[in-house]
Amino acid sequence: MMALIPSKEVVDVVLEAGGEPLKLCYQCGLCTATCPWNLVRSFSIRGMVHQSQLGLVDFESEDIWLCATCNTCVKRCPRGVEIIDIMRALRKVIVEMGVAKVPDALRLSAKNVSVTGNPLAELQEKRADWAKDLDVKPFIEGTELLYFPCCYPAYEPKEKGIARATVGILNEARVDFGILGVKESCCGDLVRKSGNETIFRRLAESNIKAFTENGVKRILVSSPHCYNTFKNEYPDFGGNFEVIHSTQYLLELVKEHRIEFAKELNKRVVYSDPCYLGRHNDIYDEPREVLQSIPGLELVELPDFREEALCCGGGGGRIWMETKKGERFCDLRLEQAIELGAEVLAVACPICMCMFKDSQLTVDKGESIEVKDVTELVHEAI
Amino acid sequence: MAEFEPQIIAFCCNWCTYAAADLAGTSRVHYPPNVKIVRVMCSGMVNPIYVLKAFESGADGVLVAGCNLVDCYYLDGPVKCDAMFAILKKLVHILGLEDERLRREMISASEGVVFARVVEEMVEGLKKLGPAPFKVKKGAVV
Amino acid sequence: MEGRRIGVYVCHCGLNIAGTVDVEEVAKYAATLPSVVVSRDYHYMCSDPGQALIKDDIKECGINRVVVASCSPRMHELTFRNACQDGGLNPYLLEHTNIREHCSWVHEDKAAATEKAKALVRAAVKRVYYHEPLEVKEAPVNPNVLVVGGGIAGMQAALDIANGEHQVYLVEREPSIGGHMIQLDRTFPTLDCSECILTPKMAEVGHHPFIELLAYSEVEEVSGSIGQFKVKVRKKARYIDESKCVGCGVCEEKCPWKVPSEFEMGLAMRKAIYIPFAQAIPNVVTIDKDLCVYIQSGGKKCGACIKFCEANAVTPETLLNQSDQIVELEVGSIIVATGYDQFDPSVVPQYGYKKYDNVLTGLEFERITCAAGPTGGKILLKDGTEPENVAIIHCVGSRDQNYHEYCSRVCCMYGLKYAYLIKELTGADVYEFYIDMRCFGEGFEEFYKRISEEGIKFIRGKVAKVTDVAITEEEKGKLIVVAEDTLLGSMVRVPVDMVILCAALESRSDADKVASLFGLNRRADGFFLARHVKLDPVATPTDGIFIAGCCEAPRDIPDTVAQAEAAAAKALSLISKGKITLEAAVATVDEAQCQGCGRCEEICTFHAPKVISKNGVMVSTINETLCKGCGACAVACPTGAISIRHFTQEEILAQVGALIEV
Ligand SMILES: Cc1cc2nc3c(=O)[nH]c(=O)nc-3n(C[C@H](O)[C@H](O)[C@H](O)COP(=O)(O)OP(=O)(O)OC[C@H]3O[C@@H](n4cnc5c(N)ncnc54)[C@H](O)[C@@H]3O)c2cc1C
Ligand code: SF4
Ligand code: SF4
Ligand code: FES
Repeated sequence: MMALIPSKEVVDVVLEAGGEPLKLCYQCGLCTATCPWNLVRSFSIRGMVHQSQLGLVDFESEDIWLCATCNTCVKRCPRGVEIIDIMRALRKVIVEMGVAKVPDALRLSAKNVSVTGNPLAELQEKRADWAKDLDVKPFIEGTELLYFPCCYPAYEPKEKGIARATVGILNEARVDFGILGVKESCCGDLVRKSGNETIFRRLAESNIKAFTENGVKRILVSSPHCYNTFKNEYPDFGGNFEVIHSTQYLLELVKEHRIEFAKELNKRVVYSDPCYLGRHNDIYDEPREVLQSIPGLELVELPDFREEALCCGGGGGRIWMETKKGERFCDLRLEQAIELGAEVLAVACPICMCMFKDSQLTVDKGESIEVKDVTELVHEAI
Repeated sequence: MAEFEPQIIAFCCNWCTYAAADLAGTSRVHYPPNVKIVRVMCSGMVNPIYVLKAFESGADGVLVAGCNLVDCYYLDGPVKCDAMFAILKKLVHILGLEDERLRREMISASEGVVFARVVEEMVEGLKKLGPAPFKVKKGAVV
Repeated sequence: MEGRRIGVYVCHCGLNIAGTVDVEEVAKYAATLPSVVVSRDYHYMCSDPGQALIKDDIKECGINRVVVASCSPRMHELTFRNACQDGGLNPYLLEHTNIREHCSWVHEDKAAATEKAKALVRAAVKRVYYHEPLEVKEAPVNPNVLVVGGGIAGMQAALDIANGEHQVYLVEREPSIGGHMIQLDRTFPTLDCSECILTPKMAEVGHHPFIELLAYSEVEEVSGSIGQFKVKVRKKARYIDESKCVGCGVCEEKCPWKVPSEFEMGLAMRKAIYIPFAQAIPNVVTIDKDLCVYIQSGGKKCGACIKFCEANAVTPETLLNQSDQIVELEVGSIIVATGYDQFDPSVVPQYGYKKYDNVLTGLEFERITCAAGPTGGKILLKDGTEPENVAIIHCVGSRDQNYHEYCSRVCCMYGLKYAYLIKELTGADVYEFYIDMRCFGEGFEEFYKRISEEGIKFIRGKVAKVTDVAITEEEKGKLIVVAEDTLLGSMVRVPVDMVILCAALESRSDADKVASLFGLNRRADGFFLARHVKLDPVATPTDGIFIAGCCEAPRDIPDTVAQAEAAAAKALSLISKGKITLEAAVATVDEAQCQGCGRCEEICTFHAPKVISKNGVMVSTINETLCKGCGACAVACPTGAISIRHFTQEEILAQVGALIEV
C-alpha cells in the first residue's frame, strides 16, 4: 500500500506546478509507452502522473529521479499534460521540503553549482581559462555577440574543444564577439529540472544581471540546455535576450559565405538530435544542413531521429547520477551508430558529448567511433 | 441628508438576462429597486448611443447584459456586443466616468440569483463612488 | 404625425403587484403624462374583462397606442397584442412593461417600488409614442426539396419527403449513391450486412417517381432564401449516353487502362470506364477522362469500349464532344447531408500506415471482409496468408489534441465488430487497444458483452508505436505493437501479423466550400454547426437549410437515419404549411442615409443585408426572409441608416431618457 503524504501543502505544490493540464490526464499510458526508460527498465510515468493527480505520491521511490526531461511524452500526450513540470515539482517537494532523501550525486552537484557557479566544482576565477591562449575579447558594451560556452566546454578538458572550435570559427568569420568569463555562471537548467528551484532562481537572476549590466543583446550558445533556459525560461524572470544556438549560427555563416570550407571531410557521420534542441525547440534542420554543407561528409540517419530521436539520458540532472550499465540510453545510441558503420557521431550539445564520451569507454568497439560536436567538424574543415 | 441612491439602467437581452430577471421575480429573490431594465432583443443590439443617453439622462451606472457566448439566440450577438463594449469603455473613459460605472455581464436565463447579485454589487459600488459627474454638473442631485 | 391617443392599463395581479406597488397611484400618475387619454388600473388585465377594457377603449375613446403595465412580456405580450388586434388596432402599437417580475416581486419597500413602477410606465408611454404599425408578412414555400449527398442520410431524407409525394432533387457527387455505408461489410450492433439493407433503399431512390437523382453532379450556386431557393447544379459529363447504357459492363471488361479503385480503398483496380461497384445506382458507366486514352489522344488511340458497346452508349461523339451540363432548380428547402472523410493515419508516423503492408484503416478492412471485396471476403495479409494475430488500435486521430479532440463515436463499436469477424473467419488472436470503451447506444453494451465471450484480449492503453524492429525471436517477421497496459501498469510489446487503425471520422476536406455555398457555419472541429445542439439539432442559422448525418458530427447509422428523418420532417412541415410567416420587427434601410459601405453585410450572421446598385447608387437592402431582427447591423452602420423596426433608435432613446426623473 502506498503511503498517503498527509501534508496538503505538498499536494498543492504538485497540483500547482502541473497546472490545469495535470487534471486533464486521462491515463492512456502513451507517455509511459513512449518514454525511453522502458527500453531498458520498467518505468510508468503515467502512474506517476496519476499519483500526482490524487496527491498520493510515493516520494521514497527512486523513479522520481529517472525522468531525463527528454520531452518525448509531452510531445505526444493527447491531453497536453506538462509531464516534465510535474516531475520537476515532485523533485522540488523533496529537495525543498525534505519529504524524502535526495540522491547523493544530485545533492553534491547542486551544492557545487550553488557554491562555485558550475557543477564541476571548479573555481569561478578559472571560468575563462579555456580561452587564455586564444584571441578572445572580454565582452564590453557595444559588442555584437556574447558567446556563452556552458560550464562543460568551459571546464571539462574533454569538451573544451567545442568552445575553442567556436572561437576559431567566429574569428575566421570576423564576428564581433566577446565572453563574460568570470562574470557568468551556470544557466541553471539541470539544477532546476532536478528540483532545485531556489538555486536556479539565484543563477538566473545573477546571469540576467550580468547580461543586462554589460549590455548583452544577442547570445550565442553551444548548449541546447542554455538555449532553452535563456530563451524560454529567463523571460519569466525579466531576462529577454536574443538567443541563438551554434548550429543555427553556423548555418547563417555558411549561407552568407562568411566561412568557406577549405578541406574535405570524407567521413560517414551520424547526427544525434539533442532533446533540448529538437523536441524542446523544434530545431532539426539547421544542424543537418550545416553537416551536409561540409564537403565530402556523408550524413546517415540513426534508426530514430528528429522527433523520435532517442535521448542521451543526461538531461534533468541525470548526467550527475550513476546509471547502471545496461540502462544507459547513450550506450544504445552509440551502438546504433557503430552498427551503421559511422566514423563520427556528431552531437550539438555538451551534455550529449559528455554522455557519449563516457559510453565510448564501456561500449564494445566504442573507441572505433569519434564523438564530435558539429562545431568541431566545421572548424576542422575550414 | 438621505443616503445617495444610485440610478442604474440595465440593457438586457430578451432571451437570457431579461428572462433571468423574470426568474429572480418568480423566485422572489430581492434586490434593490435602483435598477431599471430596458428590454432589447439581443445584447448585440445595444448601441453605444443608448448607453451614453442613459448617462446623459442621469444614470449613475449602466449594465449591458445578455446571453453567454454559446446561448445567444442570434448565435454570435455577445461577440458583437463585446466588440461594441470595448469601444464604449474608451468613450466613457474619455468622458471622465469611472470604469466601475459601466458593466458587461453574461447572465443566462437560469441565473436569476446572479442577476440580483450583480445589481446588488453595482449598487454597493456606486454608492461608494457617488453620483456620476454629469449629474453633478447639471446640478440635478440633492 | 397623426395625433397620439395613448391608453395605459395598470394591473393589480391580485395582490401580486398591488401588494407592493400602489397601482392606483401609478394609474393616476400615468393619466398626467402627455398624450395619455385613458389610464386605468384593474385586478387582472389578462382576464377576459381586463382585455375587454382595452378593446372597448380603442372603440370608444379612440385610443391608438396601448401601454400595459403588468407581468413579463415574455408571458403575456402576445395576449395583449391579440387584444389590440381584436379591438381593431395593429398589434405592434402595444408596449408591455413589466412591473411584477421586475418590480413588485423583487422589492419590499412599497414607496420605492411604486416610484419605480411609475418610471417604467413613464418610459413605456414615451416609447409607445413612436411605435408604428407593422405588417406581418407571409411568403410562399416552394414544395420542392434539394438533398445534397446520397449517403444513407441523404437517401433516407429524400425517401421520406418523396413518399409524401413531394418532388426531391438528390445531388450526389460520386458516380453512384451509397456513401460510406455501401463500403461497409457488416454493421454493428446487429451485424446485418450493409449491402443487404442498403441496396433496396438505393434502388428505391433510383426508381422513385418523386426523386430526380442527379448523380455525378455538384451544386455550383445557391441564391434566394427559405421558401424560394434557386440552385445551379453541374452535371459532370460521363462521356457516355446515360439513356442508352444498360450497365452490362462489357466495356469495363475490355478497357485496358487501370487505376486503384476509390470504392475499394485502393485495394483493387478499376478501369478508365467503370461502374464503381456492382449494385451502383444509377447503373451506368462513367469514364475517367484523365485516364481514358481515347479522350486524351483526341480519338487517335484505343476506343475499345466503342467497339464492344452493343447499346451504342459509348460513341466517338460522346467521348469527344460531351461536356458538363448546368441544371437549374427551384426549391423551398435544402437538406445538406455530405457526410465525413476518414482521417489519414499516415500523419501519425509512429503507426506505420503506408509504411508497413499490413497496417490498415477501418474502411480498408471493411473492404477486406466484404464478400464482394478484393479478397472475396477472406481476411488475408498482403502475402496471401491468414493472420494469426491482429491488433485493433482505437482512437487513432480521435480524442487527441494533436489531431482531433472529439470522440469519433463509432470506432469502439466497429473495433468490436472487427474482433468478432476476425474470430469467426480466422480464429486469430485479437487484441483491442483502447482508452475507454464507449458502447452507449441501444444494444451496444450487449454487443460488447457478446464479443467479450469470444475471448478477445482487451488492453487498456494508447499505442505508442507499431514497429517491425524485433528484439526477440518471437517478434521476428511480425509487427510489434508497443503500449503500456495501464491496468497492469507495465509495458507490453504485442507481436501481430495485422494492425487495424480505427481512424477518426473528420469533416470533409471541402467542408469550407460547402459551408460558404449554403451559408452554413462550422464548429472549431470543422463539422457544420446546428442552430442549437440540443433543441434544434438539424436546423442551421440559415432558415430553410437543414443538416443531417455525419456532416454535422461523427455518428453511427441509427443516429444518422434518425437525423435524416428529422430533417425531412422539418422540410415537410414547411411544405405542409405552404407559407412562412416573416418576423415583422426586422431591419430596414433608409436609403437616403445609406453610403453602401457594406458594414451591415459583413456583420450579419444571417446574410440578410446585401449592398446592391439602385439607379447607379450603391445601397443596402435587407432580405426580410433572412433577417432575424438581432440588430447588429444597426449598431454597425456608421451613418445610422439601418434601424430595427419596433426597436428604433427613437423608441429606445425615448424610453431610456424617461426612466430617470431629473
Ligand atoms: C470504418 C467504419 C466502419 C463503420 N461501421 C459502422 C457500423 O458498423 N454501423 C454503423 O451504424 N455505423 C458505422 N459507421 C458509421 C457510418 O459510416 C456512418 O454513420 C454513415 O455512413 C453516415 O452516413 P452519411 O450519409 O451521413 O455520410 P456519408 O456516408 O459520408 O455520405 C455522404 C455522401 O455525400 C456525398 N457528398 C459529399 N460531399 C458532397 C457534395 N459536396 N455534393 C454532393 N455530394 C456530396 C458523398 O459522396 C457521399 O455519398 C462506420 C464508419 C467507419 C469509418
Ligand atoms: S500521455 Fe498524457 S494523458 Fe496519457 S497518461 Fe500520459 S500524461 Fe496522461
Ligand atoms: S438585424 Fe440582425 S439579422 Fe437583420 S440584417 Fe441586421 S444583423 Fe442581420
Ligand atoms: S474515439 Fe470514440 S469511439 Fe473511438
